Amino acid sequence: MALTPVLLLACAEKTFNSLLARDPAAPTRLRRLAGKRLLLRLERPSLALLVTFHTQGLGLLHAPQAEETDADAVVEADCEALGSLLAGESLEQLMFSGRLSLRGQTHLLEATRELLMDLDLDWEAALAEWFGDVPAHSLAEGLRRFARFGLRSQHELRTDLAEYVFEEARLLPGQAQREVLRDHLTELEVATDRLEARLARLQRKLDARRREPMT
Amino acid sequence: MTKRTTHFGYQEVPVEEKAARVADVFHSVASRYDLMNDLMSLGIHRLWKRLTLERAGVRRGQSVLDIAGGTGDLTLKFSQLVGPSGRVVLADINASMLNVGRDKLLDHGVGGNVEYVQANAECLPFADNTFDCITIAFGLRNVTDKDAALASMARVLKPGGRLLVLEFSKPPHQLLSKVYDEYSFRLLPKMGELVANDADSYRYLAESIRMHPDQETLKGMMEQAGLERVEYTNLTGGIVALHRGIKL
Repeated sequence: MALTPVLLLACAEKTFNSLLARDPAAPTRLRRLAGKRLLLRLERPSLALLVTFHTQGLGLLHAPQAEETDADAVVEADCEALGSLLAGESLEQLMFSGRLSLRGQTHLLEATRELLMDLDLDWEAALAEWFGDVPAHSLAEGLRRFARFGLRSQHELRTDLAEYVFEEARLLPGQAQREVLRDHLTELEVATDRLEARLARLQRKLDARRREPMT
Repeated sequence: MTKRTTHFGYQEVPVEEKAARVADVFHSVASRYDLMNDLMSLGIHRLWKRLTLERAGVRRGQSVLDIAGGTGDLTLKFSQLVGPSGRVVLADINASMLNVGRDKLLDHGVGGNVEYVQANAECLPFADNTFDCITIAFGLRNVTDKDAALASMARVLKPGGRLLVLEFSKPPHQLLSKVYDEYSFRLLPKMGELVANDADSYRYLAESIRMHPDQETLKGMMEQAGLERVEYTNLTGGIVALHRGIKL
């Protein structure tokens, strides 16, 4: 059981380093970060992770007893805030909303996010290692063509489907029709409010007349 | 006058012969040591070493001694953890292993903060209270006088320093123990013959594991050497145990 978290961390480290090795821009970014260390303290689940950077990649180490002085930056957050950060939410926004706390060299967290999220992987080079340069290029070209075809087909399918549903079969109202309908509804709502107000005024007048003494 | 003897696997050999015999084993397997470790443990030895690294709690600027460091797996990680202001000494009694380790580390671009020392763990050539952390991974069972080696390690540790011993041990579960015996004495020498062309060395490995003290005995030996708060963690069902003691 003691080895399960170790195995998970080892897998994560291996995955990150394999991906970084495929990114032509990563060595430059890693050189800037080499020697730095980031202590990440997660609240739920409770986990202290020391991220060390070196020229070939990064290291992940479970470090429950790590001291703040041993890291260049200390990040405290919950999983949700970390997810938001990795999804691209502004660091300042997370800090000011109190979901993430950061001490030390603040730019280190930005640089780490940039390193991991701006990966531009050279898949063709990875394929070339297995199949050789020429077959890998043909395969990569085929995959690219297939991807382009997929994107184009998806776009065309969406357009055709919209045209059929909105224009030909008229199963659903189109955007313009929906706007007009909404305007009509708003007008109807305003008219109904007016009518309600007039009725209330008439009712008040009627009640006042009834209360007047008979002469 | 009868000669003092010690065990070399299941054989009894004169005390002064054991070091040379162990050296022969490691000269023979040095070039394929990493490959064999991966094959024999199915790669799990990397996780055992990672846990050792975590428990070591090494910090920037500290000094670390990696005894019997062999091909430098731990030294590589320690050198990244202590940084340029720290110091890691890779020590091994065997020159072939030390050469393989040094070449591997240089290939990884590790330089500055690593030193290489050919040394016997029983009489470490360092001043008292030198290191913040000492590790010995899969090396203690090959040492002729384990008590002397533990005492020597305790001597060179700084007060507050940690000694971590990662070593094969005794699985407490009977069934696992039997499966492990079958694997060690039947499959392991065959793998050694196929991959390293050296069945005898791997037979010695299996025998030396059986002759090594069990978890509680080693804990007692570490306490006897002057270490305190000694604790151990069984890994992979007790096939391997990680002992940690602190010099106070």
